[in-house]
Amino acid sequence: MERETILEVNDLDITFELRGKRLHAIRGISLELYKGEILAIVGESGSGKSVFTKSFMGLLDKNGSVSGGRAVYYGSDNKIPVELTGIKKEKDWLRLRGHEIAMIMQDPMTSLNPLKTIGAQIMEAVLLHQKGSRAEAKKRTLQYLTDVGIQDPEKRFSQYPHEFSGGMRQRVVIAIAIACNPQILICDEPTTALDVTIQAQILELIKELRLKYKLSVILITHDLGVVANTADRVAVMYAGDIVEIGTSEDIFYDARHPYTWALLSSLPQVGIKGENLFSIAGTPPNLYAEIKGDAFAPRNPQALKIDFVKNPPYFSISPTHKAKTWLLDERAPKADPPPVLKIIREGGLF
Amino acid sequence: MEREVLLEVKDLEVTFGERKKKYQAVKMVNFKIYKGETFGLVGESGSGKTTIGRAVMRIIKTSGGEILYKGQKINGDISGELDRKVIQEIQMIFQDPQASLNERAKVDYIVSEGLLNIEKGIPEKERKERVNQALLDVGLLPEFASRFPHEFSGGQRQRIGIARSLIMKPEFIIADEPISALDVSVRAQVLNLLTRIQKERQITYLFIAHDLSVMRFITDRIAVIRKGEIVEMAETEELITHAFHPYTRALLSAIPMPDPKHEKEKKLMVYDPSMHDYTTDQPFWQEIRKEHYVLANKKEAEEYKKLYER
Repeated sequence: MERETILEVNDLDITFELRGKRLHAIRGISLELYKGEILAIVGESGSGKSVFTKSFMGLLDKNGSVSGGRAVYYGSDNKIPVELTGIKKEKDWLRLRGHEIAMIMQDPMTSLNPLKTIGAQIMEAVLLHQKGSRAEAKKRTLQYLTDVGIQDPEKRFSQYPHEFSGGMRQRVVIAIAIACNPQILICDEPTTALDVTIQAQILELIKELRLKYKLSVILITHDLGVVANTADRVAVMYAGDIVEIGTSEDIFYDARHPYTWALLSSLPQVGIKGENLFSIAGTPPNLYAEIKGDAFAPRNPQALKIDFVKNPPYFSISPTHKAKTWLLDERAPKADPPPVLKIIREGGLF
Repeated sequence: MEREVLLEVKDLEVTFGERKKKYQAVKMVNFKIYKGETFGLVGESGSGKTTIGRAVMRIIKTSGGEILYKGQKINGDISGELDRKVIQEIQMIFQDPQASLNERAKVDYIVSEGLLNIEKGIPEKERKERVNQALLDVGLLPEFASRFPHEFSGGQRQRIGIARSLIMKPEFIIADEPISALDVSVRAQVLNLLTRIQKERQITYLFIAHDLSVMRFITDRIAVIRKGEIVEMAETEELITHAFHPYTRALLSAIPMPDPKHEKEKKLMVYDPSMHDYTTDQPFWQEIRKEHYVLANKKEAEEYKKLYER
């Protein structure tokens, strides 16, 4: 089955200039986002997952720039592909931001204006991105509030952000994003600041809205645990590169990259009480320096000699699943996946 | 075997505000923490779990009930001598390592601040040695003492926070969401560190968190708290395999599992307090199974018991 691609990234490089030094934040990522899917990007802080997605909206800090590769957006109304990496002017970005690609940030406390009612904030987006009168905009705003699960929208419309709990605020932020009528919704750690129960509800909401508004969703998180529920596909990111990508089932039942193994093994959900939880030794590499070989090799106890010399290419495991590790080369010694994979496959979690 | 009770909380009540604006944050809370164990308090934000921790630390005034530490009452007016003892023996680790360290002080001072207050006139040489030792104990290098907090990553800052409490040679540590603000990979390191410290020094923990998956891994017993009331309490495995109270079950169903098939079939439970009919049959705190307590009325208790027998 051929799926329609809405966003295509080819060999993207992003660098930052910091005090005369160059930081290579994104190191040649290629990725496709399919229409209507939820793609999760998982990685540690500093792995570049936010920077990567910010580049699709022209939101990189001033000292950062795309230094190679391209990203093309296929979802616009007139069906003409837009080369995102070629956009220079702020005016051109404004046409895209919100209306085509919208973003939800991590902290709902800071992404809302405390001085405006939430109704006004959602309506602002409606008026800016959709045609129609103020009365219509208000009607739609109330509809969005209902859609994101806020009860009694008439009353909530004229309330201020401080009158909402953290979870409710995140729902408001989502309503604003939806009100822009976007094709792609980027959720940057949407639940990290929230309680587990609220987190589950917000993820459920994102799944519902994706169907209702035919969204393609990129879900950024550092917690592999939360994506099994939501994501159709998972991309694992390390040091500015995607080291493994596959369907949820591929990643959780049949992970191949040692870094994915490490992430899975360190989840408290799979920990055994009284025993040490697996933790990844060392720290992520310094992105100011040029990385030789596999970036994860210095932290990987099973690293091969070649890992320190040459960066592995993608090895395909199935049409949906590929990973960048020399372990998949036919000449590599057989490496045993950690026991955690077997436990997950057999449904042996509590 | 009779276990030694380190901390006992009896009918604890905490009220904020006065008269009309009164808000009761903690209502009639009872629990015991045994020496050497890790006791978990789980609840959503606003449930009062942090308030209880702070009341034990004497940061917040209690409005009713008693907190007994080693059999001595430590809430309300206590002698200066006992106050110093409590300050030294009960330490706290905070949630946000960005906010809980003084940005303007060097690690050296941050770690030894408590020491300077309790052991006044401690020789400089000994102080330095103890700071170095505390840093080594949490897996940091003594050289770090001359740096400022902003030079460290989140995980390292949390270690500094832990070093600051360890230097006091505490017997009881209250860890308030110590890993919520950390990355998953760093979480594992901090959890392992806390477990190791406990093994080496027989420290008792009160572990406060909203995430039952972390709790399952680290605690011996768990109390589930909702709106200032404890609704269920049991040994960890017992609570997770035989949760009775619908709120506990809702919390359990919210744990994200790294298993796509399981997750896709999962039905998310949302707790609705109106499901209880408490108009005539009032709920009370009762033991349903051995060491497994639930807040329930008579009718519910019967149902829970039947549920277990099945």
